[in-house]
Amino acid sequence: MADGSAEARAGRLSIEAAPKGATLGDWIEALPNAVRVSVMLLFWLAVWYGVVELFNVSKDFLPNPIDVLIRIVRLAWEPVGAGALLTHAWASIVRLMWGFAAAILIGVPLGLAMAYYRPLQWLVAPLFELFRYIPPIAWAPFAMFWFGAGSAAQAYVIFTSSFAPILINTFRGVQLVDSRLIDAARTLGAKSWTILFEVALPAALPHVATGLRIGLATGWMALIAAEIVAGTGSRDGLGYLILQGQQQLHADLTIGAMVLIGILGSLIDVSIRTAERRFAYWRD
Amino acid sequence: MQNDLSYENVTMRFEGRSGAVQALERFDFQVNSSEFLVIVGPSGCGKSTLLHLTAGLYKPPTGRILLGGAEIKEPGPDKAIVFQNFSLFPWKTVHDNIDFGLRINGIPATEREEQIKRVIHLIGLEGFENHYPRQLSGGMQQRVAIARSFVLKPRTLLMDEPFAALDAQNRQIMQEELVRIWQTQRPTVLFITHSVEEAVFLADRVIVMTRRPGRVKEVIDIAQIAGENHWRSDPFDEVIRRADFQDTRSRIWGLVKSEISVRN
Amino acid sequence: MNGAARNNGLARALLGAISIGSVLAAWWLVTSLELVKPLILPPPADVWTGFLDIWHGYLNVPFWNHFLASISVMLGGYAMAIVVGVPLGIFMAWNRVADWVFGPLLQILRPIPPPAWIPLAILWFGIGYAGKIFIVFVAAAVPCILNSYLAIKQTPPELLSSARSLGAKPRTLLFEVAIPSGLPTIMTGLRIALGIAWASIVAAELVVSLAGFGFLIMNGYRNLESNIVFVGMAAVAVLGLLMNVLFVHIERALLPWREDQDNG
Repeated sequence: MADGSAEARAGRLSIEAAPKGATLGDWIEALPNAVRVSVMLLFWLAVWYGVVELFNVSKDFLPNPIDVLIRIVRLAWEPVGAGALLTHAWASIVRLMWGFAAAILIGVPLGLAMAYYRPLQWLVAPLFELFRYIPPIAWAPFAMFWFGAGSAAQAYVIFTSSFAPILINTFRGVQLVDSRLIDAARTLGAKSWTILFEVALPAALPHVATGLRIGLATGWMALIAAEIVAGTGSRDGLGYLILQGQQQLHADLTIGAMVLIGILGSLIDVSIRTAERRFAYWRD
Repeated sequence: MQNDLSYENVTMRFEGRSGAVQALERFDFQVNSSEFLVIVGPSGCGKSTLLHLTAGLYKPPTGRILLGGAEIKEPGPDKAIVFQNFSLFPWKTVHDNIDFGLRINGIPATEREEQIKRVIHLIGLEGFENHYPRQLSGGMQQRVAIARSFVLKPRTLLMDEPFAALDAQNRQIMQEELVRIWQTQRPTVLFITHSVEEAVFLADRVIVMTRRPGRVKEVIDIAQIAGENHWRSDPFDEVIRRADFQDTRSRIWGLVKSEISVRN
Repeated sequence: MNGAARNNGLARALLGAISIGSVLAAWWLVTSLELVKPLILPPPADVWTGFLDIWHGYLNVPFWNHFLASISVMLGGYAMAIVVGVPLGIFMAWNRVADWVFGPLLQILRPIPPPAWIPLAILWFGIGYAGKIFIVFVAAAVPCILNSYLAIKQTPPELLSSARSLGAKPRTLLFEVAIPSGLPTIMTGLRIALGIAWASIVAAELVVSLAGFGFLIMNGYRNLESNIVFVGMAAVAVLGLLMNVLFVHIERALLPWREDQDNG
């Protein structure tokens, strides 16, 4: 089995049938990933710029990347609706956190309890199945009936979106704990509370962390949808910026806000992946 | 006996995360035509690397490997390889797995069916033609993998620990089966194993390799010890009781053991 | 053991019935005692009249128009996403130049949530079908590309080595080894894409539309008819469920060789 690593490498080599030579392709492959990616991104930006300038595309339809960049920079101090960039970003983050926190507070304990106490699983699972196929954003109208059109309704939509992956992953995480671990703990004299907190929970933690990551990602998606659909009551949030751009025919604002959402979404994803790795530090 | 496979000064290194790993160093060897050659050695000694190089899956940076006088440059059915984990195509039935090599090498359909029928009979899996690999036991899957290579009538058959994933009983049965199948065509076989017993039972010659970087430590001529009628034609559990078998096994195990460092 | 399993099954069915039954009972009780306003939670009778209303043509639009509006746009965008996304993902995985060129573009577009495209789609295509097809396409293409890419990259190396050793050339490796081997992963991507596509069309219709289930839900909201909202949501859920069931059946028919085909 120690030959395994060499074997795996051999297999990977085998995908490229031709032997390695000093071709241009090999030279590019040897470049650091960051260099390759940056060059290609510049290339795509140039394509975007070229298409806009060459075909004289209207600014209301598709501004060139420099216009978008200028718009993003101006957003830093120039208010749209309730305020400038930080106001909107902060409003979005706060909403996301309310919905996400509620999903954790209900999803994690419920998932644990369902995995540990089977009748509860049988009681909850049918209800869960009943609601599973409703897209989170379809809750927006009821959320607005219940909470009024504003932040609370948006947070509720985020909650419905984050809740399912958190519950399912917690539940599966505990269920998938190797039963031999539990048997081993039992033969060592552990009681059921000890087993829950010292064996099942730590072993399930990586799954829980995965659930949180997926929940945050789907929550982020729901947040933007909620700000666009259920945002009539509030005048802030990144989704509001996108919508404003469309309604005022400012494509640079719409695209600029989309870029900001993409960047913020990536930052959130990277940070929670780092945290996830912490949770699972004892895995390879 | 003429030379079939020859290794000239073969060196191989891998660029690993923790620096370069020297897998093989100046490996020189000649394999005879129709010889059953078994290679043993400590884990990580480059046995598998040697087999993959022989299969033409990649090229050694220095040195040459010649098959029938021509340098090996790319993989092909004249040097088919059988892996430990069977590597059957899970989406193809037994019949279609065996058919794959014949079809892509442009054999006409009628001849293919004949050949498939022949090897399925040879491995004793009549009636399983339309089963998928997951419906077969490990031993049956490995029979199919052997048949898939064997049907192409390879000049050389390369086997990378083919029975390591089987339980002890099945392993014994498969060793005897392999001898029977092999004797119908007698290709040159290069066989890698961790089991010294298996090596002594099957081989014409056994190569013991040193630990990394792998070189030939010693070559043991089993055919000479096993006599005119090689003991591999007899039942395994009878052979294993023979004194000369036992002596040979101890001797080879001693050689392998001296290469296994405690820290591995 | 059989008896215990049967008892478990019985307890499970019983508790399931109790849980759904008590929710329905609570719904009926709370609304008929007028503990909550119909706007907050419409009584069952209102939901029924809402259903009849929609069935016979709510706001003079026949039910089937809504159905066709949502389904046709969704399937159009979904089909485009498959036709573009799957080959692109496979191409990127197989050809490193394609990977270098399209990889960064995908990485930059991927973190933008599908709903964020809705306003831009309206800006570019107006409020008709074209804009909604575009939204569904953008949303569904991402999982199609990513899973196809992964599927090819994760082809077991031994399968590729085996096939090469049997004489397969690159084209055969791609079409007869990598793609069939990755088909389950590709199908998973298509299933994820189906769910995202359905959610996206509903979101797009909530923002702006002249027909479709999202239109029903939004109109129910604007006219403060919570029973219409309720029926619209139920229709979306039931159709989502039906499409998923249909997909699982297609998936099983396409992949008869899978081991885990019985736990879809």
